[in-house]
Amino acid sequence: MPTSPLPRQNHLLAALPAAEFNRLEGDLERVRLSLGEVLYESGCKLSHVYFPTSAIVFLLYVLEDGGMAEVAIIGNEGMLGIFMFMGGETTPSRAVVQSAGWGYRLKAERMNTEFKRAGPLMRLLLRYTQALISQITQTAVCNRHHSIDQQLCRWLLLSMDRLSSDTLSMTQDLIANMLGVRREGVAEAAAKLQRAGLIRYSRGRITVLDRPGLEQRVCECYAVVKREFDWLLSDIPPGDPKHVLGPSMPD
Amino acid sequence: MLPSHLPIANKLLASLPRSEYQRLLPQLEMVQLTEGEVLCEAGTLMRYVYFPCTALLSLLTRVDEVEVFAVALVGREGVSSVACALGSQTSPFRTLVQSPGTAMRMKARVFTAEFRATAALREVVLAYVLQLTLQISQTAACNRFHVIEERLARWLLMTRDRLSSDHFHMTHEMLGNLLGVRRVGVTHAAHALKQRHLIDYSRGAIDIVDGIGLQAAACSCYRMVEGRHGKA
Repeated sequence: MPTSPLPRQNHLLAALPAAEFNRLEGDLERVRLSLGEVLYESGCKLSHVYFPTSAIVFLLYVLEDGGMAEVAIIGNEGMLGIFMFMGGETTPSRAVVQSAGWGYRLKAERMNTEFKRAGPLMRLLLRYTQALISQITQTAVCNRHHSIDQQLCRWLLLSMDRLSSDTLSMTQDLIANMLGVRREGVAEAAAKLQRAGLIRYSRGRITVLDRPGLEQRVCECYAVVKREFDWLLSDIPPGDPKHVLGPSMPD
Repeated sequence: MLPSHLPIANKLLASLPRSEYQRLLPQLEMVQLTEGEVLCEAGTLMRYVYFPCTALLSLLTRVDEVEVFAVALVGREGVSSVACALGSQTSPFRTLVQSPGTAMRMKARVFTAEFRATAALREVVLAYVLQLTLQISQTAACNRFHVIEERLARWLLMTRDRLSSDHFHMTHEMLGNLLGVRRVGVTHAAHALKQRHLIDYSRGAIDIVDGIGLQAAACSCYRMVEGRHGKA
């Protein structure tokens, strides 16, 4: 577990104008997110939204017959709980911590009040929503068209981008769950990447050895999602987000 | 300008407070959309948003630079190109007219400004964005688990609900885009549904013969998304 983080290690919180950030800061609660912890259960009411700083959380979509598949990977670039400000009382997906770390959480009502001010925070979160929709779309494409190997590469790279280390703790069961495939399928795909010298995999720890190698093997979905998130904050200069997010709202 | 006393065919517009709708009316223009028409290409500027009335749109994304693949349908329950309101400059999807008919359109620039300024419009549009996000999520999960026949049944039911009709026109190529399979795959699946007396089709004219049977043949995704968020 890394040392105690700061809220602004989350890119969305970091992109907020000072007035907005200061207003929220006192209500942000630091939380340790441990491997396998379920932050939201499908069909349950949201009590908090989460801003990961060093943890990675997967958004899984749960089908009626119990099957579930990953639809998005969320780390320090994002937030969990966008459904809440879109008027969704409950979340239709399940959020599970896939890499332990830290994050900050904020009470749902508090977030709602701030969102309704229709100022910079709202605009930022709407942009984030668009990027997240693009990620989910790309997952839909990837699930249909690309091999398990490629999908494994995709989420390894997306996870690496959201972590500051090149090692992930993850069991094969978690991976299989997330990709919605059988455990054996994942073991086979991981073995293939290991033989190619791209990763080292043992006892639930994956270390990326050759990132460019993974980038060569991955499907286009990775680049599409990355571009979307690069765009998200690219035109917001630190300290002066006014021309993109609008003027700060008075207290 | 459109007459304001007519029933509002688009449900999203209909769910606005009447005074709000009246205020937006001068900005709305009724248009006739033809099958196969591309309203907006992915990666290009969004000029208009479309509120379908009798038309049905599909949102397509490109795969590996060659194939296209539909992730969602937009009918009279929704609006196309919501990305502009969320702050995106260019369209994330190709918006295609899946089934011809009418729609109301508004300049994307005007829509974005109204969305930012008006809480009532924002509320209904965001509720729709949530529904759209769920539809795309469901497509992602459905693609993973369910066989073509179940998925074809699901898309046909979704189309029926959005058009409020058991008869509609849809080519195998369009169905192939919805399912992410080649035409021959569609032909096989459609044939199987026909043999079970659930649908009938000839030259792109589709007829849902047994809606209840078709629901039973569809994957649970149909009930989940449509059931939870109300029929389109």
